[in-house]
Amino acid sequence: MMNATIAKLAAQALLGRRRFILLLAFPVLLIGLVALVAALTDGDAAFQILPGLGYPLVLPLVAILAASSVLGPEVDDGSIVYLLSKPVSRHGIATSKWVVALGATLVAGALPILVAALVTGDTTRAFALFVGAAVAGTTYSALFLAVSAVTRHAVIASLMFVLIWEGLLGNLFSGVAWLSVGQWGLRIGHEISSELPDPANLPWAIAASVVVTVAGVFFAGDRLRSFTLRGED
Amino acid sequence: MSESTTPGTGRSGVIHDLGYRRYDGPREGTGAIARTLFLTGLRHAYGLERSGKSKVMPFLLLGMSLLPAAIIVGVVVLTGLRSLPVTYAGYTSQTQLLVSLFAAAQAPVLFSRDLRHRSIVLYAARPLSSAAFGFVRWLSMSVALLAFMVIPTLLMFVGALLAGLDKSDQLSDLYKAVVLQVFLAALVAGITGLVSSVSLRRGFAVVGSVMVLIVLTGVVTAVQNIAQSQGSDSVSVGAGLFSPWSLYSGLGNAWDAGTRVPVSVDGAWVPAYVLVLLLVAAGCVLGLVARFRKVGSR
Amino acid sequence: MSTLVLESASRWFGNVVAVNDVTLTIGPGVTGLLGPNGAGKTTLMAMMSGFLAPSSGTVTLDGQPVWRNTEIYRQVGLVPERELSFGYLTGRQFVRANADLHRLPDAAGATERILEVVDMVEPAQRRLDTYSKGMRQRVKIAAALVHGPSVLLLDEPFNGVDPRQRMHLMDLLRRLGDEGRTVLFSSHILEEVERLARHIEVVVSGRHAASGDFGAIRRLMTDRPVQYALQSSDNRTLASLLMSQDSVRAVSLNGDHLDVQVDDLGSFAVELPGLARQHDVTLFELSPSDESLESVFAYLVAR
Repeated sequence: MMNATIAKLAAQALLGRRRFILLLAFPVLLIGLVALVAALTDGDAAFQILPGLGYPLVLPLVAILAASSVLGPEVDDGSIVYLLSKPVSRHGIATSKWVVALGATLVAGALPILVAALVTGDTTRAFALFVGAAVAGTTYSALFLAVSAVTRHAVIASLMFVLIWEGLLGNLFSGVAWLSVGQWGLRIGHEISSELPDPANLPWAIAASVVVTVAGVFFAGDRLRSFTLRGED
Repeated sequence: MSESTTPGTGRSGVIHDLGYRRYDGPREGTGAIARTLFLTGLRHAYGLERSGKSKVMPFLLLGMSLLPAAIIVGVVVLTGLRSLPVTYAGYTSQTQLLVSLFAAAQAPVLFSRDLRHRSIVLYAARPLSSAAFGFVRWLSMSVALLAFMVIPTLLMFVGALLAGLDKSDQLSDLYKAVVLQVFLAALVAGITGLVSSVSLRRGFAVVGSVMVLIVLTGVVTAVQNIAQSQGSDSVSVGAGLFSPWSLYSGLGNAWDAGTRVPVSVDGAWVPAYVLVLLLVAAGCVLGLVARFRKVGSR
Repeated sequence: MSTLVLESASRWFGNVVAVNDVTLTIGPGVTGLLGPNGAGKTTLMAMMSGFLAPSSGTVTLDGQPVWRNTEIYRQVGLVPERELSFGYLTGRQFVRANADLHRLPDAAGATERILEVVDMVEPAQRRLDTYSKGMRQRVKIAAALVHGPSVLLLDEPFNGVDPRQRMHLMDLLRRLGDEGRTVLFSSHILEEVERLARHIEVVVSGRHAASGDFGAIRRLMTDRPVQYALQSSDNRTLASLLMSQDSVRAVSLNGDHLDVQVDDLGSFAVELPGLARQHDVTLFELSPSDESLESVFAYLVAR
């Protein structure tokens, strides 16, 4: 399924130039802030930044940035035809691009959460949050890849999902947790450390994460299969 | 295509008089150009005069920020409350996510497209300098943002008056809210404009703006709350200088406009807040003007 | 040897019909796809390259439908009108990536060979975003040719390319056509098509207006006077003689030759030798003077 050439090109697009700096800014900001607060305060204030800011905001933002930059610009300006006019499986292209986005999300999103959580002590809790972040990062990157394959406004659409649906409405209505990628991850992390919240039931969280991931990557590939070249608009 | 070339008699050509005439009537000055540019920019920020698809996002966000206001008005009218449950300035602060998303989503429309497609050189060929172009764009964005905040505010105000709440109270609240919104709009338009004029890919511009408007605000709020709980009030208030929304909330708090902050802003902090806000806004506008001047002169 | 066949292919977008019931066959050699801007050339190209489903009808390559059929790209090279956005790659890396995507056994060798063909060996280590328009165009062609496709589709390949490089590209395409490949390029500029392809397909507002050798197309349009340039031993005498014929509409003396407008091509061809012989006028040269693609095109567009 994987195509090494596509993955290499996607990685080059992701790491090339300024976007890499933007991607790197998130973990630096997060770890720096948590370390600073941990050094200056006692109690649990430093850790609270992670479930309050790192997990619900930085992680999905990294996933959005990664998923949209491996696919978004090429679909946006139509230059993806250079990749598509080859005897290469479309699902292979989607999978390769997703793997690259996933790698970036884990390295720049989930790993910093682990590092920052370790800074605040309590290794079990840190690993629990990391597992949650890794699961959610996997699902997010597949979901946002699918969104990038559909609309040119992928970034804004994904942001609205994260900020308004999962964030704003998720805080108001607890039922949103059943349809929230971040909450599924937390529920899975809860199995490791009970300090994490317990928003939905476990089988649902696992099944939903798997289904959204697989469906997201498959759907992105399917959209590429029907990619239509249009004139300038 | 080629007009009358006669073989044998050597090359010859003729330019036909097609009746085009030189225009020597009165011409509009730079002011009129700037005015037109401003209005076009303002309309484009809401997707007007653009494709149907580009209207979706701004109006969806506007609709979402109007919905709670409409619900509040309904509740006040039905239950006969004697005051609004939230002040006008407080409402803008509570819908800051929507305002930020609107700014992040629409700034690339005004600031990236002309640079990315190099159509800026067409504007630069007109009497209006590209520096003035950048400034007018900023003005369009500011007014578009202001409208985005003022419209729900006005809806609540009209609802409050219809519900028979005290007119002078509401007017003074409204006045404070609008003044704060003007400052905020100028600042946010400057920030998102600068981000979008530097990062020309729409996706990156949006994420960059979101970083400044939402992530930074989240960081500042976290620091403010932690500092407050640790008892270091001055750190809490000082941290508020570092994000647009904490500046807004801080000033609203100092002016008694009903925005919430962990530690109230008073004394010498108030001019500091005003100064930082104005300096950052002015800095962004200057940066924007410099950016457009540089790109337009190439 | 490959043949692209469109069988009553149509494509509409909502209420707008972009391509209307087009049936055409494109075989080996260079074929020009000609039409004014907005005539549906890009839509046709997209359908032929498998990036657009026909709303009705079929598009096949050697009998295989092209839509959603990734296997066709083993035989097809596509040069889209779109700009490259892989500015962070060098020319060599870009062509090599294309070779790799085709899983060529000797991708490195194929890359070097094709860079040689398009004359891009020397700038190949530079990044794409430093290239001129003509260089980018040549790299795009190299990327499309790297796997030796039997069909090459080029959408507006000469747009924005300077005249010298245009000549260079034309030579290349002509060579590819002579090798027996099926080369189809689209253009709205007559002069380009005329210089490169004898065989043309003309589309006008989504309809297939004409097909074949442009000289032949020109002769088919008998309801419009045909212009001839005529040189003889006695132009004035011949002019007065011709004017008395029903088949001739107008004659004018023009320097050392006559311009003759003919309504009825058939009878003119029969009468002219007889007239000349009768009156002892020697005919030196008779040539159609407006059989340029431009006149063909102007006629088809106006109809």
